[in-house]
Amino acid sequence: MKRTRSIATGALALLALSGCGGSVTTANPGGGPADNTAGGVYSTLNGLPGGEQRAEALKRAKAEGGTLSLYTSLTADVADAVTKAFTEQTGVPVTVFRGNSETVLQRVLQEGSAHRPGADVVETNFLEMQTLGDQGALGDFGGVSRAGLPLPAKFARWTATRFNLMLPAWNTKLIPAGEEPRSWEDLAEPRFKGKLTLEVSDSDWYENLTSYWLGHGRTQAEVDALWKAIVGNAKVAKGHTVMMGLLGAGQTPMDAMNYSYITERAKQQGAPVSYRSADGIAHVPAFPRPNGVGMLSAAKHPAAAWLFYDWMLTDGQKVLVQQHLTPASKVTGDTSLDGITLLGYDVAGLTKDIQTWDKRYDALLRGVPQQK
Amino acid sequence: MTVAPAPRGSLRAGWPAAGRLRAWATPRTLVVGGCVVIIGYLAVVPLFYLLHDTFTGPGGFTTDAFARAYGGNTQAGEMMRNSLEFAVGSAALALVVGTGLAYLQVRTDAPFKGLFFAASLVPLIIPAILYTAAWIFLADPDIGLLNNSLFKPIFGHGLIDVFSIPGMIWVQGLHLAPIAFLLMVAAFRAMDPSLEESGLMSGASRVQVLRRITVPLLRPALISAALLMFVQSLESFEVPGLLGLQNGTYVFTSRIYFVLRTYPIDFGAAGAYALGLLAIAAAGVLLSAWLSRNRRAFQTVGGKAFRPRPVDLGRARPWVGGLTIIYFIGTVVLPLLVLVYASLLKFYTAPSVQAVKTMSFDNYRQVFHTPIAMTALKNSVLLGVSAATIVMLLTTIASWIVVRTNAPGRRLLDLLAFTPLVVPGLVLGLALSFVYLRTPLPIYGTLLILLISYVTRYLPYGMRYAGSAMGQLSAELEESALVCGASWGTTFRRILVPLASSGILAGWIYVLVVSFRELSSTILLYSPGREVLSVLIWEQYENGQFTVLAAVGVLMVAILVTLVLVAYRFGARIGVNTDD
Repeated sequence: MKRTRSIATGALALLALSGCGGSVTTANPGGGPADNTAGGVYSTLNGLPGGEQRAEALKRAKAEGGTLSLYTSLTADVADAVTKAFTEQTGVPVTVFRGNSETVLQRVLQEGSAHRPGADVVETNFLEMQTLGDQGALGDFGGVSRAGLPLPAKFARWTATRFNLMLPAWNTKLIPAGEEPRSWEDLAEPRFKGKLTLEVSDSDWYENLTSYWLGHGRTQAEVDALWKAIVGNAKVAKGHTVMMGLLGAGQTPMDAMNYSYITERAKQQGAPVSYRSADGIAHVPAFPRPNGVGMLSAAKHPAAAWLFYDWMLTDGQKVLVQQHLTPASKVTGDTSLDGITLLGYDVAGLTKDIQTWDKRYDALLRGVPQQK
Repeated sequence: MTVAPAPRGSLRAGWPAAGRLRAWATPRTLVVGGCVVIIGYLAVVPLFYLLHDTFTGPGGFTTDAFARAYGGNTQAGEMMRNSLEFAVGSAALALVVGTGLAYLQVRTDAPFKGLFFAASLVPLIIPAILYTAAWIFLADPDIGLLNNSLFKPIFGHGLIDVFSIPGMIWVQGLHLAPIAFLLMVAAFRAMDPSLEESGLMSGASRVQVLRRITVPLLRPALISAALLMFVQSLESFEVPGLLGLQNGTYVFTSRIYFVLRTYPIDFGAAGAYALGLLAIAAAGVLLSAWLSRNRRAFQTVGGKAFRPRPVDLGRARPWVGGLTIIYFIGTVVLPLLVLVYASLLKFYTAPSVQAVKTMSFDNYRQVFHTPIAMTALKNSVLLGVSAATIVMLLTTIASWIVVRTNAPGRRLLDLLAFTPLVVPGLVLGLALSFVYLRTPLPIYGTLLILLISYVTRYLPYGMRYAGSAMGQLSAELEESALVCGASWGTTFRRILVPLASSGILAGWIYVLVVSFRELSSTILLYSPGREVLSVLIWEQYENGQFTVLAAVGVLMVAILVTLVLVAYRFGARIGVNTDD
C-alpha cells in the first residue's frame, strides 16, 4: 500500500503567520468571579489540565441549559449520525440547521451582525470556515484533543474534522479496467474525448491542480494547454451528487473530479463506480480539502459548543469513518485513505484569492479568454 | 355586451357624500388601503435591499455593478439570447398546450376529462429537479429508455436528445403548462359562449370564430400566462443547469448563480441582473396593461346568465381522446413511472431482470423514518394553505383596484406586485432575515418568516390569476348590488369573489403547490425543528440518494393530488363550477 502524506506548504505558511493556529489561552485558574461570557468559558476550559477539560465542559454544558445549536453543511444522514452519537454519549441534545456551506456562512454572519446568534457551533467547508475565522466570528479552542491532530488539520480559529478527497471517479462498466486515468494529466488525453464531466463550481480543485502542475515543473503554457484539452474532453454539470447519480446510471463515463466519499457511498449502494483501480490503488494523487468545526465567539451555550468541538476531534471521528468520510485524525478501521496518495491542499493560494480562481474557472468552462 | 358602457369611475360617483372624512373612513377604504400597504411593504423590502446593494459602492453611488454583471468576458449578451430563446420557446409551448387542454376541458365534450386534471397537476407537483432527471432517464441519447426501447429498435438510432435547446424547451414547457392550464380553465369558464355561437350563426367558420372572437376575449388571461411563464423560464435554473450545461448552453441565470455562490457575494452584480430581468418583466406588465386597455371588451361575465354548452367534437372526438391519452402518457405516466421505478431501487440503473430483483420499499421506509418527515409535511401543509389563502386574498383586492378603479398609482401597484418574481430567492431570504433579525417581533426563527417569504414570492402569480378573472367581470354586476343597497364588503364577498372564484381557486391551487417546492429562500430562513418538505427534498438531493428523492416525489404527488381534490370538492360545495 502506497501511503504518503506530504504536508501543504501553504498550510505551513498560513499557520506560521497565524501563530501556528494554537489557541490563546487566557485562563483564570486562580478563581475569582466566574466569567460566563462565551469567551470567558472558552478561556476557563482551555486553561484546565487536559484530563479535566471534557468533564468540566460537560458539567457546565448541563448547567447552561443542556442543549446545543449546530449549523452545518454535513449531509443529513451524516449529521443525524453525528448528533445522535453525541447526544447518546453526553446527554446534550442538539438542534441542527442544515444548509449548503454558503448558506451556513450567510446565516451565521447575518445573525452575528444583528447580535442574535443562533448557532453555538459551526461545522462546514474550508473556505467558509476561513471566512468565519477572518470575520472574528469564532472563539479559540485549546482542548488537548487538538494537539494530536496532523498539522494540516489545524487552523487559526478552527480545526479540520474531515477531508474531502478530490479524485477522478468512473463508471466501471464504461471505463474498462486498465483504462482508467493514472494521473491528472491523463484527463487531457484524446481517449477521454466526450467522456468527462466537470462540475461547474469546482474552482478550488482547478486552483489546486494548476498550482500542483506549476509546482512540478510545468510551464504556464503547458498547464493552459492541459486545461484546454480537459475542457475539450468534457461536458459540464451542476452538483457533485447529481453527477454521481448520472455516473452510476451510465449517463456519463467519468467525473473529472468528485469527492471520494460520494463515490464510495454510491459504490456501497451497489452502483458500478470507483475511484481506485482494480489493484486497490488510486493512481491519481488526491487533494484533501479540509472541512471542520468552530465555536461561535458569541455562543449562547459555550460549554456545550466546546464539548462538541472536543468530541468531534475524538469520538466523533469514529462516527465519520462509519459514514465513509475521511477523518482528520488516525482512526482504527478507517480504510478511506488506503491506496491513496495525498497531496497538499493549497490553503494559502485559496485563502488569498478565491474570487480570481472562481472567475478563471468559470471563463475556462465557457471557453472565453481570461479577464485581466 | 348586454349593457351600455358605464362611464369609467362610476363607482367613485356612488360614494356617500357626507363629508370627505367619513367617505375615507369606510370599510372599503380601510380594506383597500390596508391591502395596498401590505403589498407595497412586501414588495419594497427585497427590492430596496437589492437596489441599495446595486447602486452603492465604497464611494457612494455607483453603476459599476452593471459593468461587472454585463461587461468583460461575461457573455451576458449571448446568455441573454440563449435565455430568451429558451424562455420564449418554453412559454409558447406551455401556452399552446395549456390553453388547448383548457379549451378541451371546459368547452368541449372531449373524452377522458379526468385525465386532464392529473395532466395539469402532476408536472406542477414534481420538483423540477426530479422532473428533469426523469426526462434524462427517458430521453438521454445513450441511456434514455425511449431511445433504447422504442426508437433504436425501429429506426436503428435514438431520435430524441434531451440535452439540446428543443429538449430543454420540451421539459420546461411541459413543466410550466399547468400554469397556463389553470389560468385558461378559469378564463374559459367565465366566458359566455353565446358570443361564439353568434359568430357561428352569422356564418363564420370555426377558425374565424377562434381567431376573431375566442382568442381576443381571452387576451388578458393569455398575456398573463405568457408573461408569468416567460419570466419564470428566464429565471429558472433547474432545466438549464441539468440539461443546458451538458451541451454548453449557458443561460442568464447561470450568471446569477455564479455571483451568488461565492464569498463575498457580489450583491451588486446580482442586483444588476435582477434589474435586467425586471426591465423585461416591467415591459411585459405595461404591454399587457396596454393590450388590455379596452377593458370592457374582455368583460364576458355580465348581468345576463349564461350556461356554457360544450362544443360537440363530432368525428374529431376519438382523435382528441387519442391525443389526450398520448399527452397524458408523455407528461404524467412516463415521468411518474420512471420515478416510481427509481424509488424502488437502491441506485438508478436501466430496467433489467437484475434491477427488478433488487426492488424494495426501503426508500419509502427511509422517508417515513426520517426524523423530520412528519414535521416537514405538517409545516408544508400549514404554510402552503396559509400562503395560498393570504396571497389570493391580497391579490383579489389588489387586482380589483387595478382593474376596476381609476385610483392613481394603480399601475404602480400592479408593477410592484410583479417585482418579487425577479428577485432571486436567496436575495429575498437575505433581505427578510436582515429586516426581521432587527425586529423585536417573534418572526425570525419561526414559520412566520417563511410565510412572509412565500406570500411575497407568489404575489405576482396571485395577481395574474386574480387579475385575469377580475378583468372578465362586468362592472354592471357590482353596480347593481351597490344600487340595491349592498355595502362594498357585501358586494365584494357575495358578487365579485364568487364570480371570480374559478380564477381565484386556480391561483390558490397554484400557490399551494409551488409553496411545497420553494427552496431558495427557505433554505436560509427555516429553523431547526421547523423544517418543511422542500428542505427534506434538498437533504435527500444532497445525500446523493436520487432513489430516495424519487420516493419523496412520488409521495408528494400522492399528497398534493389528494389535497387539491379536496379543494375542488370543497370548491364545488361553495358554488365553484367544475366541469367534471
